[in-house]
Amino acid sequence: MEFKLNEEQQEIKRAVREFCEKEFTPELALEYDQKEEFPMALYKKAAQLGFTSMRIPTEYGGQGYGVLEECIVVEEMCRVDPGLGVAVSLGNLMVPDVLLQHGSEEQRERYIPPLAKGEKIAAAAFTEPEHGSDITRMNTTAVKSGNEWIINGDKQFITNAPIADTFIILCQTDPNAQPPHRGQSLFLAEKGMQGLDATKLHGKMGIKPCVTGSLSLSDLRVPETNLVGELNKGFYYALELFDGTRITVAAQAVGMAQGAFEKALNYAKTRKQFGQPIINFQAVSFKLAEMAMKIEAARLMTYKAAWLYDKEKPNAMATSMAKAYASRVAMEVTDEAIQIFGGYGYLADYHVERFHRSAKITEIYEGTSEIQKLTIINFLQKQA
Amino acid sequence: MPEIFVLAEHRQGQIRDITYEMLTKAREIAEKANLMLTAVILGKEVKEKAKTLAEYAKKVLVVEDAKLENFNSDAYQKVLVNLMKEYKPTLTLIGHTSYGIELAPRLAAALNMPLATDCIDLALEGDTLTVTRQMYGGKVNVNATLRKAESYMVTVRQAAFTTQKPVTPLNGEIIEKPSLLTEEITTKRFIQYILPPPGGVDITAAEKLVGIGRGIKDQSNIPLIEDFAKTIGAVLACSRPIVDKGWLPNDRQVGSSGKTVKPKLYIALGISGAFQHVLGMKNSDLIIAINKDPNAPIFSFSDYGVVEDLFKIIPSLKNKIYELKGQKA
Amino acid sequence: MDIVVCVKHVPETAEAELKIDASGKGIEKSGLVFYINEWDDYALEEAVRIKEKFGGTVTAITVGAEDSDSTLRKCLARGADKAIRLTDPKFAGSDGYATAKILYSVIKNLHYDLVLTGMQAGDDGYAMVGPILAEMLGIPHTTMAKKIELEAGVAKVNRELEGGLEEQLEIKLPALISVQTGINEPCYVSIMGIRKAMQKEINVMTLADTGLSEADMGETGSWLKIEKLYVPPAEKQTEFLKGTPDEVAAKVAEILKARGFI
Ligand SMILES: Cc1cc2nc3c(=O)[nH]c(=O)nc-3n(C[C@H](O)[C@H](O)[C@H](O)COP(=O)(O)OP(=O)(O)OC[C@H]3O[C@@H](n4cnc5c(N)ncnc54)[C@H](O)[C@@H]3O)c2cc1C
Ligand SMILES: Cc1cc2nc3c(=O)[nH]c(=O)nc-3n(C[C@H](O)[C@H](O)[C@H](O)COP(=O)(O)OP(=O)(O)OC[C@H]3O[C@@H](n4cnc5c(N)ncnc54)[C@H](O)[C@@H]3O)c2cc1C
Repeated sequence: MEFKLNEEQQEIKRAVREFCEKEFTPELALEYDQKEEFPMALYKKAAQLGFTSMRIPTEYGGQGYGVLEECIVVEEMCRVDPGLGVAVSLGNLMVPDVLLQHGSEEQRERYIPPLAKGEKIAAAAFTEPEHGSDITRMNTTAVKSGNEWIINGDKQFITNAPIADTFIILCQTDPNAQPPHRGQSLFLAEKGMQGLDATKLHGKMGIKPCVTGSLSLSDLRVPETNLVGELNKGFYYALELFDGTRITVAAQAVGMAQGAFEKALNYAKTRKQFGQPIINFQAVSFKLAEMAMKIEAARLMTYKAAWLYDKEKPNAMATSMAKAYASRVAMEVTDEAIQIFGGYGYLADYHVERFHRSAKITEIYEGTSEIQKLTIINFLQKQA
Repeated sequence: MPEIFVLAEHRQGQIRDITYEMLTKAREIAEKANLMLTAVILGKEVKEKAKTLAEYAKKVLVVEDAKLENFNSDAYQKVLVNLMKEYKPTLTLIGHTSYGIELAPRLAAALNMPLATDCIDLALEGDTLTVTRQMYGGKVNVNATLRKAESYMVTVRQAAFTTQKPVTPLNGEIIEKPSLLTEEITTKRFIQYILPPPGGVDITAAEKLVGIGRGIKDQSNIPLIEDFAKTIGAVLACSRPIVDKGWLPNDRQVGSSGKTVKPKLYIALGISGAFQHVLGMKNSDLIIAINKDPNAPIFSFSDYGVVEDLFKIIPSLKNKIYELKGQKA
Repeated sequence: MDIVVCVKHVPETAEAELKIDASGKGIEKSGLVFYINEWDDYALEEAVRIKEKFGGTVTAITVGAEDSDSTLRKCLARGADKAIRLTDPKFAGSDGYATAKILYSVIKNLHYDLVLTGMQAGDDGYAMVGPILAEMLGIPHTTMAKKIELEAGVAKVNRELEGGLEEQLEIKLPALISVQTGINEPCYVSIMGIRKAMQKEINVMTLADTGLSEADMGETGSWLKIEKLYVPPAEKQTEFLKGTPDEVAAKVAEILKARGFI
C-alpha cells in the first residue's frame, strides 16, 4: 500500500498548480463570475499545455493518463478558483470518454483530437426537464428514417450547451422497451445542424464561468453513423461513464474545499481581534483542524476510487462514496471558511463566498448525493 | 603603507554616486586601520574626474587609454590585475552595480582573492574582514567573515552608505599609470547604450509610486499631486475610495481588491492605512507616509512618517526637490 | 549550439515567514516551498529558445541536495535534454566561489557553445557564480542580460544598467552569459513535457566525480563564512520627521535624494 503520489504525479500537480496560480487570478475569477461567460482564452491555454486532456490517449492528441491524474489536475484547478476550475476542466466533458469506450474508430478520429487540443468544446445531454435523477426513461426520441435518425425533445441543464461544437445526446430509441432504459441510445450531433438549438441559462448560484443551457431538438437529423456503440445500450453507457466522471466531480469538491481552507487558515493567522490573531481562539483553530481532517478523508476516498478505476476496475460504490462524501465536505468546509472570515467572508472581494456557492453543484450534478447513496446501498445489499 | 582601493565608477561622463558612498566608508576604515585611501579610475580622458576624487582620497591612480573609453570588464580586469599585483591593496571596494557585478567576481577569481558581494556594511579588525549582507531578498541579514587573506575584495550595495565629503579635501596625489593594454580587447566589445522606451501606466511595474487617499479631499487636487509625482518620476496610485469616487481609473488602486505593488518608493498621501490597502503596498522598499493623524495605522508600516496636512507639505517638497536637482520650479 | 544551464533549487521566501534555525546560521527550511531560482528560470527558457532556433542540446546542471530533482525535472519538462545533479554532503556550506569550482569540475568536460546562469540566486544573492565560472573555464562572459542575439561566433547582448538604461555588447563564443529577469517570458511546464521528461535520466554525481578535494568546497573551500543570521532591525519603526512644514519637506527631499530617487 502506498499513500504517496509518484514522481510523475507530483510533477503534474506542481505544473498545474503553477499554471493556475498565475493564470486564475482573483480578478479574472471575479470578472467571469460576474459575466457568466466561458473563459475561452484560458481554456485554450490550458488545453495547449495538456491539462484538459489527461485521460485521452496520446494517439488522439491527449496525455494518456488515468482518472487519478485527471483528479490531480481538477483538484488543483478548483483549489485556485472553483468557477474557472470547473469551466476549464469540463471543456471537453464526457464526449471523448464515451467515444473511447464505445465509439467507432471513425468517430474517435474525427471527434476526439479537436477536443483534446481545445479547439472544440463538448457537451453531454442526458437530463431533461422531466427527467433528472431518473433517466431511466427519456422523453427525447430518436426515430430511424432511411439512413438517418430524427431526434426530437428537450434537454435541460446541459453544461457547455451554448458553446459546444460536439454533443452526445441520450434518446429513447425503443419507446416500448421494458424496462424503458433498455430502449435508449446515444447519438453524436454537431453545432450548426438544423434542428439543434441551445439557450443559455442565467442566474446560477455558482460555477458561473461554466456555462449551462438547454437544448431544443426538433427534427434534428443525424446520419446513422452518429449512433454511438450499439443500439439500445445508451443507458448502460451512461452509467459506465459516470463511474469515471463522478470521481472527477469528487476531485472538484476536494479542490474547492482545499482552496477555501487555505484562505481561511491564512486569514485566521493574520486577523487580530481582542489583541491576538483569531487562530489563537480554540473555536477557530478547532474548526480549521476539523476542516483539514475532512478534506484529507475526502481526498483519500477520491484517490482510492480513481485508483480502483485505473488499476483494477471501475467501482461504482467507491465512486459514489467519494462523490457524496467529498461534496458534503466541500459544503461544510467552504461554509466554515466564510465563518472564519466573518463579515469579510460575506463579500465577493474576499473570494471565499464564491467557493461556497460553487461547492453546492458537486452535490447535484452527475447524480445528486441522494442518488449516490442509492448506488451505495444497492451495492451493500448485493454484497450482503 | 598598505592601501585600500576604491574603484571609481563612471558612465557617460558622470562619476556615479556609489563611488562617493564607497569612498566615505573607505575613509572610515582607512583611518581606523591606518591604510592609504586610494581611488582608482580607468577611462579614456578622466584626469579631470581624478581631481574630484582627490578630494575624497589620499591618492588617485589614473589609467587612461582609448581602449578604456567605455566600461569593459575584460579591459578593466587586465588593468586592475596589474595594479593590484603592484600595490597589493589590503581591501578593494567595487560597487555592487551592473558594472561591479560584471567585473568583481571574475577579477577576484583571477587574483584568488576572497570576495564578498552586495555588502551593506563591512569592518576590518586586524586582518579579519567582517561584512554584513542580506539574504532571502532582504528578509534576513547575515554577518560573515572572509577567509583569511592578504587582500580582500568587497562589492558594496548602492546607497548602503551616505556620502560625506571630508571636512577638508584630502587633496590626494594623482598618479598616472599606464594601462599596459597592448592590443584591442576582442573578447568583449561595447556597441552602444540603449535608452528605455517611453512607458504606459502599470503601477505594478513602476519603481516609484505616490499613493493618494481620501485625504486629498477633492478630485480637483489631483493635478497638484500629479505635478509633485512628476518631479521624482513617480506614477500616481491610490486607495480604494479614490477609485470608488471615479477620480482615478481602477488600474491605479493599491490593496487587497486592487493591485499589489512593490515599488522602490511608495509615498502615501492622506491614506489611513486600512489593512486592505496596506496588504497591497507594505512590501515597498521605502515607504513615506504623510498624514495629519498621528495615530493613523499607516505609520506602523512606514519608514518615515510626517504628521502634517499634506497640502502644507507637498508644494514645499516640490520646491525642495527642484532645488536639489538644480532646476527651477 | 550546445548549451549548459546552471540552475539552483531555492526556497520561495518573498511571501513566506522566515525563521532563523537553532544554529543561527541558516533558516528553517521546513514548510518552505522550493522552486527553480527565479533568474535561472529565465536562463533555462532562453536556452530552450536558442536550441529551438539553432538546434543542439540543453544540459541543466545543479549543485544541490536530492530534492533539487524537482527543479531538474522542470528543466527537462521545459525542453532540456540532459540533467546533472551534483550532490554530496561535503558540498554543503559552499558559497558562490566554491559552487563555481564544483560546477567547473563537471562543465569543463562537457561540450558547450554557451553557458547560461541566472544573474543571482534569490536565496543568498551572491551574483558571482557566473563570472567566476567563466574565469575558470577561460571563456568570455557577460551578466544581467536582457536580450541575447546569436550571430556567427558571437553573441550580441543587451545588459541592464541602472535607471532603465541598457548597453549592448558583443562577446565571442563560447561564452558564459548570466541573465536578468524579464529577458523572456518563461513557459509553463506542459503535461507533454512532463511525459517526455520522465523518460530522461538525471545524472547524479558526487565529490568523487569532480576530481576536487574536500578542501575545495564547503566552508573551507569558500571565501565567505557565515557567522550569524539575524532579522534586520525593525525598519518600520517609523521615523517621524519633525519641524515646520518647510523643514519637514526639506528632510523628505534629502531622504529621497539619499536613496537615489532624485
Ligand atoms: C450547473 C448544472 C450543470 C449540469 N450539467 C449537466 C450536463 O452536462 N448534462 C446533463 O445531462 N445534466 C446536467 N445537469 C443536470 C443534473 O445532473 C441534474 O440536475 C441532477 O441529476 C438532478 O436532477 P434534477 O435537477 O431533475 O432533480 P430531481 O431529479 O428532480 O431531484 C430533486 C430532488 O429529489 C431527490 N431525489 C430524486 N430521486 C430520488 C430518489 N430515488 N431517492 C431519494 N431522493 C431522490 C434528488 O436527490 C433531489 O434532492 C446539470 C445540472 C446543473 C445544475
Ligand atoms: C471588501 C473591502 C475591500 C477593500 N479593498 C481595498 C483596497 O484594495 N484598497 C484600499 O485602499 N482600500 C480598500 N478597502 C477600503 C479600506 O478599508 C479603507 O476604507 C480605505 O483604504 C481607506 O482609504 P483612505 O485611506 O484613502 O481613506 P480614509 O480611511 O478615509 O483615510 C484618509 C486619511 O487621510 C488623512 N487625511 C485627511 N486629510 C488630510 C490632509 N489634509 N493631510 C494629510 N492627511 C489627511 C486622514 O487622517 C486619514 O487617515 C476595502 C474595503 C473593503 C471593505
